[in-house]
Amino acid sequence: MLSVRKRWEASLANALAFVKGRMWTELYILLRIQVAIVREQWIWIFIMATIFPLTTLLFMKFMYGISSGEIMVNVIVGNIVFAIIMMGFNALGQEISWQKHAGYFTFYSSLPISKAVFVVTQLVRGLMTAMPSVIIMAFIGQFAYGIRLHYEWGLIPIFLLAVLSMVGVGAGIGFWSPDHQMTNMLVQGLMMFVGFLSPVMMEASQLPPVLRYIGVIFPTTYSASALREMLTKGWTHEVTVDMFILIGFIVVSFAFISRMINWRAAD
Amino acid sequence: MELIEIDQVNKVYKKGKKQANIDISFSIREGEILGLLGPNGAGKSTLIKQIVGLLAPTSGEVRYAGVNVLKQAKKVASQFGYYAQEPHALGALTAREALLFTGILRGMAKKEAEKQTMELLERFGMAELAGRPLKKLSGGQKRMVGIGTTIIGDSRVLVLDEPTNELDPLNRRLVWDIIVERNRQGATILLVTHNVLEAERVVDRVAFINYGRLLEIDSVPHLKQKVDGRLKLELTAVEGEAGNLMKRLEEWGDIQQTAENRLRLLIDKNRAGTMLDWMVHANDLPIDEYAMLPPNLEDVYLYIDSQKEKAAGYVIREKKVGSFIG
Repeated sequence: MLSVRKRWEASLANALAFVKGRMWTELYILLRIQVAIVREQWIWIFIMATIFPLTTLLFMKFMYGISSGEIMVNVIVGNIVFAIIMMGFNALGQEISWQKHAGYFTFYSSLPISKAVFVVTQLVRGLMTAMPSVIIMAFIGQFAYGIRLHYEWGLIPIFLLAVLSMVGVGAGIGFWSPDHQMTNMLVQGLMMFVGFLSPVMMEASQLPPVLRYIGVIFPTTYSASALREMLTKGWTHEVTVDMFILIGFIVVSFAFISRMINWRAAD
Repeated sequence: MELIEIDQVNKVYKKGKKQANIDISFSIREGEILGLLGPNGAGKSTLIKQIVGLLAPTSGEVRYAGVNVLKQAKKVASQFGYYAQEPHALGALTAREALLFTGILRGMAKKEAEKQTMELLERFGMAELAGRPLKKLSGGQKRMVGIGTTIIGDSRVLVLDEPTNELDPLNRRLVWDIIVERNRQGATILLVTHNVLEAERVVDRVAFINYGRLLEIDSVPHLKQKVDGRLKLELTAVEGEAGNLMKRLEEWGDIQQTAENRLRLLIDKNRAGTMLDWMVHANDLPIDEYAMLPPNLEDVYLYIDSQKEKAAGYVIREKKVGSFIG
């Protein structure tokens, strides 16, 4: 019993020493590597993240001639969430899967770095790639369609949680997939399903019951709900509930990714 | 002193269908350069991934300084520099950033990492390319930066998986020089290579691996004694006649096919004269050209491989003609 306690104390002491010293160095260097990757691909990231939501927005405008502010808010919020899906889910998932199957993680795992810090930097990269398109979509909605939305500071944490929850799912798929083709099929299929058959572009009440229940398991449902609420009414009780659910998704996906990364054999 | 001990290591893949390593046991002494040689698919890379703690053996264990590597993963990662065959993960960084960041991640102080980075870039003749992204460098330059990221940081052990692949002769020589230099500074080096002839000049001992098994481990002079008193006859057969020629020559010594039309015969020195005389007078031998040479380390390997195969009756999973030189 004593030895278990001593071991636990030693682990705690090691963890504290790591947080005090090496962790910040590792975090800083690994983030700089992620920034370099984003710096190299930013134009493609920007195009990819913007083109699909933008074309969907235009398609809906041409097809249905949307004039109702309420529907338009749904469409804009849906497209903001879609931008997050595109980058956090599809692009990051595919990128991580490609890196994994190309053997890139061998380099990182052969270095004395913490897996948790590595995972955090992957998530931050997803955040960096998704945020610009989120902001662009919000501005397009405001200025191109004349929809008056509530912009307040509370939107920032909701955006961050929405992005991180999707990035977690994307990174999880990328790390888990047995091969790159599987990742590709999975993210494409999920992207279409989540985008059009879950409460993202529309209210949950507009969907058939089966799809409403299925939508419960996707973080996009809560991201869209929280953003819609924030943009139309401000911070309500519903936003708080959605926020906690999103935090839950982030925690679960972080734990899942930490287990799934094929790191050192001892992990 | 034994620094790394590989003890009865077995590695089985695909639910038992593929045995990559079978009962491998040997030690790596502190301060030596050990060459790990064998053909493609022999199980070398699998073995070194277990040595650096990236793969767990199915049974057996690898010990570093007396402790199982799996129980001290972070210590192993901080004291080993591992050059893998996989492509480099830092393609978006500049050459300088790749070296500097790796040095810092290995635990070096920034100032020291910067100093070593510039020294390495100058040594590689790449000081002017320091700010260029790795993706825009040539294949050989990328490889040199990869080697730089492995050796930066004064690791106690360097594990190098085919470090001279795809390098031009000048850079190959530079890499061999650096390996010897790091060894003189105290690093223990495990070197996997196909380039047997170049490795012969730097290694202290050699471990031959094939069919997932360790065939032999010894110093180069001791290994060469195994083919002492023999000469090597290299022959090019007339196209399509290699099999026929092999049959005609097998009574003279240990013969092997090394490429489609190429054969190698190890023959006793005192029979060589008679054999050459016979060959010259036998007008119907399908030979295009031949040369008599002293055997090198590669011939030793091929000899040991053929002897072990005959003696133990190993199941050969995949025998590729001429696959030894990559």
